[in-house]
Amino acid sequence: MELNANAFGRNSRKALLDKTLQEALGRTTGRFQAHRDAAVAAFPEFEATRERASRIKRDVLDHLDTYLARFIAEAEKRGTIVHVARDAAQAREIAARIARDEGVTLAVKSKSMASEEISFNEALQGAGVTVVESDLGEFIIQLAGEAPSHIIAPAVHKTREQISRLFERHLGEPPTDSIPELVGMARKHLRAKFLSAGMGVSGGNFLVADTGSVVLVTNEGNGRMGTVLPRVHLAVVGIEKVIPRMADLPTFLRILPRSASGQAISSYVSIVTGTRRAGDPEGPERMHILLLDCGRSAILEGKYREILKCVRCAACLNACPVYQSVGGHAYGWVYSGPIGAVLTPLLVGLPEAAALPDASTLCGACADVCPVKIPLPDFLLELRSDAREQGLKTPGEIAAMKGYAGVMKRAGLLEAIERIAGVLGQFFTKGKGIGGLPYPFSGWTERRDFPAPAARPFRKQWKIKRGARG
Amino acid sequence: MVNERESLFRRLSAACGGHDGAVAGEPLPGGAPLAPEGDRVALFEKTFTAAGGILLRAPVEKTLSDLGETLRAEGVTALFFPEDDAASREIAEALVPFGPFNLTTAEEVREGSTSVTAGFRTAEAGIAETGTIVETSAGGKTLLPGLLADVHVSIVPVTSVVGRMEEALSILAAGTPRNISFLTGPSKTADIEQTLTVGAHGPKKAIALLLG
Amino acid sequence: MPYNAGMDPKGPIPVSLFFTCLADAFSPGVCNATVEVLERFGATVRVPLSQTCCGQPAFNSGNRKEARAMARKFLLTFPDEGPIVTPSGSCAAMVKHGYPVLFRNEPRMLARARAVGDRIFELSQFLVDVLGVTDPKSDFSGKVTYHDSCHLRRGLGVVSAPRKLLRAVPGVEFVEMEESDRCCGFGGVFSLKNPQISCKMTERKVERILATGASYVTSGDLGCLLNIGGLISRFGYPVKAIHLAEILAGGTGGLSSFAADAASEDARPPGTIRRAGGR
Repeated sequence: MELNANAFGRNSRKALLDKTLQEALGRTTGRFQAHRDAAVAAFPEFEATRERASRIKRDVLDHLDTYLARFIAEAEKRGTIVHVARDAAQAREIAARIARDEGVTLAVKSKSMASEEISFNEALQGAGVTVVESDLGEFIIQLAGEAPSHIIAPAVHKTREQISRLFERHLGEPPTDSIPELVGMARKHLRAKFLSAGMGVSGGNFLVADTGSVVLVTNEGNGRMGTVLPRVHLAVVGIEKVIPRMADLPTFLRILPRSASGQAISSYVSIVTGTRRAGDPEGPERMHILLLDCGRSAILEGKYREILKCVRCAACLNACPVYQSVGGHAYGWVYSGPIGAVLTPLLVGLPEAAALPDASTLCGACADVCPVKIPLPDFLLELRSDAREQGLKTPGEIAAMKGYAGVMKRAGLLEAIERIAGVLGQFFTKGKGIGGLPYPFSGWTERRDFPAPAARPFRKQWKIKRGARG
Repeated sequence: MVNERESLFRRLSAACGGHDGAVAGEPLPGGAPLAPEGDRVALFEKTFTAAGGILLRAPVEKTLSDLGETLRAEGVTALFFPEDDAASREIAEALVPFGPFNLTTAEEVREGSTSVTAGFRTAEAGIAETGTIVETSAGGKTLLPGLLADVHVSIVPVTSVVGRMEEALSILAAGTPRNISFLTGPSKTADIEQTLTVGAHGPKKAIALLLG
Repeated sequence: MPYNAGMDPKGPIPVSLFFTCLADAFSPGVCNATVEVLERFGATVRVPLSQTCCGQPAFNSGNRKEARAMARKFLLTFPDEGPIVTPSGSCAAMVKHGYPVLFRNEPRMLARARAVGDRIFELSQFLVDVLGVTDPKSDFSGKVTYHDSCHLRRGLGVVSAPRKLLRAVPGVEFVEMEESDRCCGFGGVFSLKNPQISCKMTERKVERILATGASYVTSGDLGCLLNIGGLISRFGYPVKAIHLAEILAGGTGGLSSFAADAASEDARPPGTIRRAGGR
């Protein structure tokens, strides 16, 4: 999808002023987090399971070549056709070719963040294929012509009133403010698509190396429909999604739904392995897996390897007060919230997204909830440092930092400056908070007072009362 | 294509730093935390219900009338079951007088039947840990009753209830059938204003009939 | 993690005060209160006068060259044995967790950074975990709610110490706010780079504070308090931001930086510090 990450500042100011968005965020904010916390509290083994999941993922990444090779071999043994794409352009080309070769005109797609990375729908539309999103949230934003704003709840920014208007316009349904009625309309419309589509497109939550299986986790059941009914199944999956063994799957099934939506398990887990077997009454005749590198092998090589442990649960978004304030679109690409603030610059290049690592107070709420223990705040700090080294900081910031360091090098100089500030403070504000300051402090003083500097700093007081010895 | 694959593996091997190909074998924590205490079946009843399912376990006559009532309340008019599933057939046929219900086939439903349907199927396993029904395509079994029906009725022999997901997988993943499905509660979505609503694409009601 | 090195249980406890540049410049009352409380429990407080800033603003904004210069200076300023105590969870966390990152490629400096990291404590952590204080002997009175500073709670893992101390002050009616561990929106340079988001977060924090009906909101970090206090001051809400050290020292006040009586920063000058109590 189109990249607009460096406009985070502008995007977020717009988001803060968008009344509908704020209302949608207000209706949902905190619910995810509360559900997640309750589910974790009800599962005493969560921490041990989390540690286990984290170590399994680390092991996978340290040996990704071995595990991925195993996965491909096992998948091919069971009739799956495996494709590999280095970048988005190549992935689009391969996807379009698959659709053409399979003679597909209608595809139903279940939710896949990886497919958003490569602008999958546009690629297929270019090959004359209609792609219908089947996840309810994705379906809604597809009708609206927008991009997802949340990993697991893509239409979290839409109110029921907006959705009803979309269904009226695009599906010819009567207006309603009943959510069950809206769900029923989508069900009816999409059921017909499932039954007539030639190809089901999915992502993959996990790739099981020892069996060559793709695992899909959904609540709606669309992943299940799309991998049972159409004659072709195409899974678009990042190479890092491998887990070693089928026996490891329960570990991840115990942490993913709890972290994502607070459920002990999602409604549907589909473990699909290869094509329909002789005697099977249904199932795809052809199965393709399109494995995406798209920057992942480069990440694997560097200091950010652990970001590839991510299972896309979105717990970090839900925990993040910045995300909760501005929603997902402000982040300007596929991934939002803390994971987006780290992953986007790594996938698209830091110069294209240097504003994102700054979009955090470093409060650490994300790391608290990450089910695979990704050190997100450490990575944010690391990226900010990379930005300096790559010359991406503004001259103003660097000058300010140099000035600050110059002052802080000498306590005497600091003391002198404090003295002047103190005098000015007393003169202009009589020691009250300061109501208006020039840039870069002007944003602060829009709705907050800035503290007045003390007339006599502590160091000075101490010297007077206790002597200069320290 | 093969070249692209080789090139990917060259990049991966370089990134993984020339390890010996051996995979870490250190013991992991949290692997077997959930051996359910006490009665597996009692736990399954609890978790299945907690996941939003309706569990029936009673003398057969009472169960049939309860089930008939539940299906009528959902507006069900037609029942279908796999041709080769004797237990499902027996129960569906016995239910007809509690309706009125018609018997139909998966093919008819797939062709786009407008009736409100209940799909019957014998589960391969129940998982007590999560209240999950397991269905697979092993041996040419169909998945359509749990996929297309408005109400899914699972026949669960108590002997098929296992404690944890690992146990179900170690039994059912042998030979890796094309499809292994874990079904837990009804189909649901919270995509509109985070409001939980059932019946997104799959069954709006999940019913389990515990036998034995 | 009890800290014992360099301490003779029978003699006075030598403590180095890291007063922080923020408190020095904006709220010297907090530094004075910290000294008062430490001395109350038998500490001999040494104040290295050449100290400035731990380097956190530079480190958190990715300007590691400048941060490293600050860190080197800090390590030179606090070279001795013995605990370093600071009224800031954030600055303590910087020294403890940030310095090892800054010196990860300099083994000798890394070892020194780790050693200093082991010696540094936030005030409430030091009082409760090291000195074993159960009664802070404060005459403060009022209804108080507590904001968990992110770096004190998540960086140092200090959750119960400040609460234990607050509950042990007879005159304090302690009330928990909702979402006490949710970030107040300060985030150092974040509040300058993304001021609107920062302020939105602060508004939510202040709503939660007001909902408790408390007269005071306290915390272990001055940054959070200046941020929260700044919004309170602008809108004139009936609650005062006050540092935990000030409550423990006793009396009633609140951050002087927003008060008309800021000139009375000498209200608690070092000379008046009570030499009360022991441990």
